Amino acid sequence: MYKEFRRNLGKIIHLRSIIGYNSLIFALKKTPLIGKLVPDSLYGSSELKVIYWIIHIIKESFKLFIGKIFGLGMIYLASLVLMTAYRDYDMVSGVSEPVLYGSFSLFLFILYALGGILINTSVFRCTTEKEYLVFMLRMDPRKLNNTLFAYDLIKLFIGYLIAGIAGILFGAPVWIWLGIPFLAIFIKFFGAGATALIYKIRHTRNKSMKKNPAGYVIRITLVMLLFPIIFIILVNGFYVPLWITGTAAALLFVLGLWGLHEYSAFDSSLHRRALLDNIVREEAALYKEPDTTKQFKHLTAAGTVRGDKKGFEYLNSLFVRRHRKILFVRPVVFGCMIALIAGFVIFEFIAVYKTNFGAESCRNMVLHNLLNMLLFRHYEDPLQPYIESSAFSFFRWVVSKHLLLMIIPVSMADNSFKATQAMYINCDNSLMTFSFFKQREKIIRLFDIRFRQLIRIDLAPVLALGLVSDLILFYTGGQDYPFEYLLTVLCILLISSLFCLSRLALYYLIQPFTTTVNVKSGAYVIARCVLAFMGSLVFWIPLNSLILFFVLTVINVISVISVRKLVYKNAPKTWKVKS
Amino acid sequence: MEFVISHLVKNYGSKQVLKDVDFVFEESRIYGLLGRNGAGKTTFFNCINSDIDITSGSFYFREGKESKDTIAVRPEDIGYLVSTPTVPEFMTGREFLKFFIEVHDEVTPDRSIDEYFDYMMIPEDNRDMLLKDYSHGTKNKIQMLLNIIAAPKLMLLDEPLTSLDVIIAEEMKSVIRSQKQGRITIFSTHLLDVAVDLCDEIVLLNHGRLEPIAKSDLGDNAFKEKIIAALKDQDNV
Repeated sequence: MYKEFRRNLGKIIHLRSIIGYNSLIFALKKTPLIGKLVPDSLYGSSELKVIYWIIHIIKESFKLFIGKIFGLGMIYLASLVLMTAYRDYDMVSGVSEPVLYGSFSLFLFILYALGGILINTSVFRCTTEKEYLVFMLRMDPRKLNNTLFAYDLIKLFIGYLIAGIAGILFGAPVWIWLGIPFLAIFIKFFGAGATALIYKIRHTRNKSMKKNPAGYVIRITLVMLLFPIIFIILVNGFYVPLWITGTAAALLFVLGLWGLHEYSAFDSSLHRRALLDNIVREEAALYKEPDTTKQFKHLTAAGTVRGDKKGFEYLNSLFVRRHRKILFVRPVVFGCMIALIAGFVIFEFIAVYKTNFGAESCRNMVLHNLLNMLLFRHYEDPLQPYIESSAFSFFRWVVSKHLLLMIIPVSMADNSFKATQAMYINCDNSLMTFSFFKQREKIIRLFDIRFRQLIRIDLAPVLALGLVSDLILFYTGGQDYPFEYLLTVLCILLISSLFCLSRLALYYLIQPFTTTVNVKSGAYVIARCVLAFMGSLVFWIPLNSLILFFVLTVINVISVISVRKLVYKNAPKTWKVKS
Repeated sequence: MEFVISHLVKNYGSKQVLKDVDFVFEESRIYGLLGRNGAGKTTFFNCINSDIDITSGSFYFREGKESKDTIAVRPEDIGYLVSTPTVPEFMTGREFLKFFIEVHDEVTPDRSIDEYFDYMMIPEDNRDMLLKDYSHGTKNKIQMLLNIIAAPKLMLLDEPLTSLDVIIAEEMKSVIRSQKQGRITIFSTHLLDVAVDLCDEIVLLNHGRLEPIAKSDLGDNAFKEKIIAALKDQDNV
């Protein structure tokens, strides 16, 4: 039996090491920039496998420490604190210290262990290693589960015995620190047996043995409820006498024996079925690139393009119509959030104004300046010093002198990256196989249409930001020069247009996406970092909106011309399917 | 018209996939490009279609053997059918066809959209469905149809009959045969029977080079054995 256990455990650990090591190398290879430096030969490097094993053992020991030793050690410590407090405040009488300590630690441990089996019974969880061993390598599922269960119990026992050192230090009696590891084993038997029984009943009723997510939520809730119960009992100076916790422990030993019997009666075919219904592919998922395409696949043929749009205009309109959710939800939500926050700020401003200067004065201020804004006249208010000394002067300083700071909210609202992902996965990666899609004139025609479209997609947050900036200007002194309101909005629009242009240009000139729409291009990552760095260099530069408008217009014109030239020249080669 | 490949080389790092491809393809003929899995057939097509950069060499059109003028290959000269057809999933078959005809200003369609669908035997109830819901075979037919409309000089067919059912495969073969006049068709496959059944010439992609197989009788068993022997020889290298 021992030999069989060792042989099976050897197979499992060997496979576990292969899965763990290979997934680590795979993850490294998939990392932009680093990935290219990692050669395939690393999969076969025995030296690195040894290093991996050392790390793996450290990780396992750490998990053992956190899960078992630390958990029980804390219970021993808490028991000491409680015992001392109860003794000092004379909350119990006629009870010896070891008995009091024992009742606290047994009470806490039983709840801790029962909570544990309610949340986590991993015996029938089919991890990748189990899936390979049972369904591909035809290993007996019962033997496999038994081996892993025994291995887990050994780790548990050793972990709790080590935690016993903490128990000794904190004054735990021998029968506690020696008894708890055995009790833990029997509680585990009980958990496994109860699960086996539930699965057997479900199987007899032709139901899946899959864990019920609703049941899991209920169990978590039950465990969470334990905390206030424990808190109420202890804070009020109560304690559960040892004869009750002792009886509960004895009952759990009996239930453990029953559980062991139930678990042993769970035959191989039932083990197989339980594993089949509880497959988790967390480890296997590490081998694959995460498939992010699902979010782009909710398409219906509903609606068509109105008007007489033809060719690429027709393609773009149809694309936008069928991808409205993906393209517009984020910018519109962001725009609404900006408007909502701004609304609160303006409301607060007016409310404070009204409190300080009365309703009549407030009404005059709002209406008078509303007219002023509509006619682009200067803000006039006798209460200007009030504004200048308030926090609102800061907002005015931002929108009148540091409009480049809008780079931050614009970048947060910008949806061009996701839009290019949708373009690639649902449209371009298929059309790229057709020769007409690689003709320069056609590429640049579609590029222009898409550039305008991306600007339109980001319009909601841009207008919201523009409106907020204008309202801040309006309520803090009005515009300093003619057309400042208009120029403020235009500046934000020009910043947004630069974002759209850069994202689209990178898509056409680097095309970083794989068939699962993950980015697989060091050049793309570097380019985005460089752009972000450039943005961080310029966004604090003070410029009023008049100068900024001219600067941004010039930059936009130069950028559009240069990017169009680059795309026209290079995109037939660079804009292609990446394997 | 001829399509000339001159000393074409393609390397992936130190691995030489196409060593020295030198070949002349003639108009109105279907060439069966035979090679074992991994021989480099798709790489060869991807080079011609400019999807990947070539290491060295060139390819061009010329009017005839005597002609010294070379005609550069433009993207619109090539029609490429990939083995796993991908189509813009957000469009219906009809919408895609409408768009395709509109962006090909140079093409004057001689049929209505429905007539094109009829020609390719695409059922009526499929025509207004999103392309993502099309079967593999129907996606293949759509791909073929688009290439027929675009009327390229050179048609590259990369295992277009793979995983098609018998009926659709026969329909596709008949379409390929009917479209061979006035263009060069290169049809890659690893299925010898398909190549023998459909093609006028057989070309082996062997050791990274193209080798013509003299076809005394394409249906002859000895001929098939000769090809298999050549492919085995490739495996032994």
